[in-house]
Amino acid sequence: MRTVAVGQAELKLFWRNKTALFNSLILPLLLVPALMAADADGVPLVIGLTGFVLLMAIYYNLVTTFVARREELVLKRLRVGELTDPEILLGAALPSVVVALGQMALFAVIVGVMTGISLPSQPWFLLVGVVGGVIVFVLLAAASSAFTRTVEMAQVTSLPVLMACVLGSGLFFPVSVLPDGVGTVLRLLPLSPVLDLLRAGWDGGPVLRPMIVLALWMGLGTYAVRRWFRWDPRR
Amino acid sequence: MTVIEVRGLTRRYSGGFEAVRGVSFEVERGEMFALLGTNGAGKTSTVEVVEGLSRPASGTVSVLGHDPFWERSLVRPRAGVMLQEGGFPPDLTVTEAARMWAGTLTSARPVDEALSLVDLAHRAAVRVKQLSGGERRRLDLALALLGRPEVLFLDEPTTGLDPESRRNTWELIRSLLREGVTVLLTTHYLEEAQALADRLAIMHRGRIVARGTVSEVVDAYPSRISFVPPTGVPLPVVASEDGAGRVTVRTNSLQETLHELLTWAHANSVELSGLDARSASLEEAFLAIAEEAA
Repeated sequence: MRTVAVGQAELKLFWRNKTALFNSLILPLLLVPALMAADADGVPLVIGLTGFVLLMAIYYNLVTTFVARREELVLKRLRVGELTDPEILLGAALPSVVVALGQMALFAVIVGVMTGISLPSQPWFLLVGVVGGVIVFVLLAAASSAFTRTVEMAQVTSLPVLMACVLGSGLFFPVSVLPDGVGTVLRLLPLSPVLDLLRAGWDGGPVLRPMIVLALWMGLGTYAVRRWFRWDPRR
Repeated sequence: MTVIEVRGLTRRYSGGFEAVRGVSFEVERGEMFALLGTNGAGKTSTVEVVEGLSRPASGTVSVLGHDPFWERSLVRPRAGVMLQEGGFPPDLTVTEAARMWAGTLTSARPVDEALSLVDLAHRAAVRVKQLSGGERRRLDLALALLGRPEVLFLDEPTTGLDPESRRNTWELIRSLLREGVTVLLTTHYLEEAQALADRLAIMHRGRIVARGTVSEVVDAYPSRISFVPPTGVPLPVVASEDGAGRVTVRTNSLQETLHELLTWAHANSVELSGLDARSASLEEAFLAIAEEAA
């Protein structure tokens, strides 16, 4: 697979980027003691951490990666080669996706051992949630990069998606305390269907609606990338 | 065999600016065609369409018999592109950047071979960010050559190169042309076009305003004889003063006019100090065209 050539180069760059390395490998390890001390139910904790990884290791990390490669003129150069546009984006996203999946597995194992949670009864829903979530947040990162002038600006331009997802997903407070109308809207945010599917993976529950919402976000993300993604630097 | 064929190409940007207004040209196999022009003349806008990066507003483009935009996967494996500005991740080494590129190609030549072609083998282990501007250009050229292209697009290939590297790059391009590679060049360096191009076109404000072989383009412009005129003697030819004490004679038959002038000077025993006679160069033709068109 020729897109792997880009992924390998991107992985080398990842190892050489101290900030990315710290954020992806050290920061999660620092969270472990806090997790061990937490007196929370195991399953919600694993689900919350998975959402956190999707937002930080995939979404935020990739907004900065896409912007950096664009401003370095790397995307422009790659685009005159043989790779197709999706292959270029996939290659650049590959290491972040691998690291994110590793983090999810690590958190699940640690929390699982600490709290002795049961294995998911419907692992397929779990898989659909994780894979769908990865795809949606890679697409959203690519779309957000179009509105981000510099790597530093990513801290600001990523906020709307980050805040909306964190507040709307029920990670910090249950959505059920909100008025009905607001709750319905929040369930349409991109992270919500992922978490619904993860919950369904353990406890069962309705999956049709979150799957539809997730599919809509994939469609919307694909449209946004095709419409707005920039291969040339923003000047 | 015609490798590149452009017919009635126009290109419009959002906002309505028409960057290319009806450009046509063709490039034969093994030929170098140079696209010249002032800044903003539409060269890069034209080349981007030929490379398949953008669609034309109207007109057709064919490269190796295919549409470079819609049939990108058929054209790209046989084409090499060196952009005016292209980048590589600054923290990769030269070899790593070349390996990455090679990994994306259908059939790549060995990385060492490509780096040797552009005299970068000794810099293989150096990070891209530590390369000089000229070395970066040569790395870009090495990658354009990695896929053994049949068609090569070179946009300002020698910008930032020292004179020796520029000569070496010219030699390399000449040897590629001899092997039958077709080259579309855009450049600011008129001597580069004069040295390498079989045919060229000069663009101004989105149109081709002159085209042909170097001599065809240049021959349309007068040769020049300049000197410091002797005082108190009327000249036998029409001359214009440049304000710094010199005069310039423009002529379409340099040998005749020069003979006339020298015979006259000899007969009158006057000296034409600082005498300089030259045929029109591409630079003069270019400047005249830019002036006329302005």
